[in-house]
Amino acid sequence: MDVNALRPFGPASADPDLSMGLKLLSDQRRARLVRVMKIVGVWIALVTVLAVALLQLRVDPGYIVDHRQIVIDGVWVTIGVSLISIGFATILALLGALGRLSRNSIAQGISGFYVSLVRGTPLLIQIYLIYSGLPQIGKQLTALGFPQLGRLLVLDATQAGILALSLNYGAYMTEIFRAGIQSIGHGQREAAEALGMTHGQMLRRIILPQAVRVIIPDIGNQFIAMQKDSALVSVIGIWEITFRANRFARQDSKFIEMYLLAAALYWLLTIISSWLQSRLEGRMAHAYER
Amino acid sequence: MKRMHAVLSLISVLSILLAACGTAVPSPTPTQPPPTTVPDKLAEILDRGTLIVSTDPAYPPQSELTEGATRAADTKCAADQHTASELAGFDIDTAVEIARRLGVEACFVTPDWTLITAGNWADRWDISVGSMTITPERMELLYFTQPYYTTPAAFFVHEDNTAFAQPSDLSGRKVGVCSGCTYDFYLSGTLSIPGETIDFVVEDAEIAGYDTDTTALQDLALGDGVRLDAVLTAQPTGQGVIEDGLPLKQLGDPVFFEYLAAAIDKAHGTDPASFVEKVTEIIQAMHADGTLLKLSQQHYGVDLTTAAGEFEWAGLGQLP
Repeated sequence: MDVNALRPFGPASADPDLSMGLKLLSDQRRARLVRVMKIVGVWIALVTVLAVALLQLRVDPGYIVDHRQIVIDGVWVTIGVSLISIGFATILALLGALGRLSRNSIAQGISGFYVSLVRGTPLLIQIYLIYSGLPQIGKQLTALGFPQLGRLLVLDATQAGILALSLNYGAYMTEIFRAGIQSIGHGQREAAEALGMTHGQMLRRIILPQAVRVIIPDIGNQFIAMQKDSALVSVIGIWEITFRANRFARQDSKFIEMYLLAAALYWLLTIISSWLQSRLEGRMAHAYER
Repeated sequence: MKRMHAVLSLISVLSILLAACGTAVPSPTPTQPPPTTVPDKLAEILDRGTLIVSTDPAYPPQSELTEGATRAADTKCAADQHTASELAGFDIDTAVEIARRLGVEACFVTPDWTLITAGNWADRWDISVGSMTITPERMELLYFTQPYYTTPAAFFVHEDNTAFAQPSDLSGRKVGVCSGCTYDFYLSGTLSIPGETIDFVVEDAEIAGYDTDTTALQDLALGDGVRLDAVLTAQPTGQGVIEDGLPLKQLGDPVFFEYLAAAIDKAHGTDPASFVEKVTEIIQAMHADGTLLKLSQQHYGVDLTTAAGEFEWAGLGQLP
């Protein structure tokens, strides 16, 4: 809120209430600054403790510096796989949530089964099954005379990794989307119905735009989690951060060194993502500011 | 204002969807074989101009990542495959030479080792040149070519250890191995290598399984008996980590030798028989003209290939 906008014409001191208000605001600002400084102080102390603890490991910091590039080259792959996967997961989650909330029992059944199956099995096993299991179904389909369909199921490593991450996160995000949609007051629906909107119109114009505000911060949250879960796709041979760190470390048995570097890169990525997320959240909140 | 906000949020959702769709479109898998007009695997490879090789760059000096490498500019390899310049090692050099003698370019994919040995590759790669030991179990899923070298398997213990003098002293002790590999089978007494009689000198060892040998060697290096009493692994792998400074030593002589060959999926969509024979011929020629011996001395400093050249490939009885 801009204080100056409240200032009436004439000198500020003419109004004792206003000057008291201004003093209160500046006091609050100072208190906030002090709090931020204290938090920064705590962070610096903790980072120092962490650094001292890490130096107790048998690590060779020079090795990390000399060989950092081969791991850093994987950052773009991690970001790319995560971004594409979160995009697909968002679509799946939207469809899943609409299915869960629909009055159609087939749609409800499908989305309920999807969420239950995918949330109930480990992501690592899903990755293995999608990479080496789907092609075998594809081969059967080809043998049955559907070569196009069969070939569609033979995914290369990148496609299989993206599919597994999308399916997995889509299931978790289905619940987030469902909660977001359900959080929109019932009065909104009634008002939309009273205006004669169809179900689709109501979703498009009334429910989803408001639900998106609730959902977006959680998508950001899931994106941060996914960046780290994308490390699992290294098992099918995608050259992202973890694959490069793990495979390169074997050459000189410098596992701790390369894993520390990988961890630092993931941390940096999530710090950047968190910052972007908080900015996005701030922007989403604008419409509701008074 | 409210409507404005609704429009904006819809646009933001749509743009996410579009971004996702946009990236999805340009990926019709280039690794897929052309329709069944090419019935023969070898013809298909020559037609394509690339030999797609699987390798797990987790096993130096067989296969490892190259630092500061760039992708070859004029490559025929598909976008999700890696060119020879991005990898290095004995397996890589051997694969490149096989491809050269076939008259095609070698391209590499890097799936996990378990996915390579499981067969059913769905034609995503043509051949594994990955130091794979010939075993009867694997022969059910894969065809093996003439072996291109052998690996002695040896036990390693911590350098502080004085309690063990020979491998048989390890009976009943805790030994680390890579899960599901030949060393695991040796310790459980089920290993059988075609063309070799194996003496199981270690009995009832407590087997500790690891994802790969190097992790086990790391654990052994923590101290004598801290997590492991010994590790059974390839002699070159053990010697390699000792040279890198891990405080370990080899215990006695190698306990068995493995014949390491290139492998080809039996479940290929096209007939692999002539391809298996052709690669075997190429490897036999590489033994005969000393190419493999030279590569072995370059990467291992010793001759690991001569015994593999003398191996009776026809004795495996794989092809009708």
